[in-house]
Amino acid sequence: MGKSSGHITNDIRALRVQHGAMTQQDLADRVGVTRQTVNAIEGNKYSPSLEVAFRIARVFGVPLERVFQYRDG
Amino acid sequence: MNLSFREKSLWLMFVSFVGAYGYYFVTVLPARATDILPHQVVLFVFTVVLLVIMQIAGHIVIAVVDRRSETDERDKLIALKGTRNGSFILASGVFFALCAAVYTEGNFVFAHVLLGFWVLAQLVEIGSQLYLYRRGA
Repeated sequence: MGKSSGHITNDIRALRVQHGAMTQQDLADRVGVTRQTVNAIEGNKYSPSLEVAFRIARVFGVPLERVFQYRDG
Repeated sequence: MNLSFREKSLWLMFVSFVGAYGYYFVTVLPARATDILPHQVVLFVFTVVLLVIMQIAGHIVIAVVDRRSETDERDKLIALKGTRNGSFILASGVFFALCAAVYTEGNFVFAHVLLGFWVLAQLVEIGSQLYLYRRGA
């Protein structure tokens, strides 16, 4: 089985705007990470652990797939 | 540039390492002695004390300015990658120090090759982390 080359994208910025223009610091405080980590996740520079990914989805009250998407190529 | 507490701490360590050990090597290496001399040991102890004082004072200032000192999973991942990069340099240093022990007279070259590579390993470890914080991990 060959290794596929894909990448993870996210809609965190849009979801923050939809939730009353929540700041990165607000989200970071609620998730339990630093603001710099939220910034790195949002900019697709860091893929979070499943635990943090679920915590982010829970803050927005949406399923995980609404926050993160896996794209081929 | 908006730096986290951890990044400020790393910059402090990087600058203090370069400053303290840079001063030590610039002062001691031109002597090219066969064995380490007593005043060089005193200078080394002074360098370590200076390094500790700079880091304690610097961290107090950083903690006062930036009260958010929490770390998370990304900090741990970046620290692990930095340690891995530094360990390659340190392993090379041990090899070259052993060569120096076998092929040179006295303990001066051996000790300073080992110390030099240890300092380099620390700088690579810290530098790697600073790079990963900016470029992504």
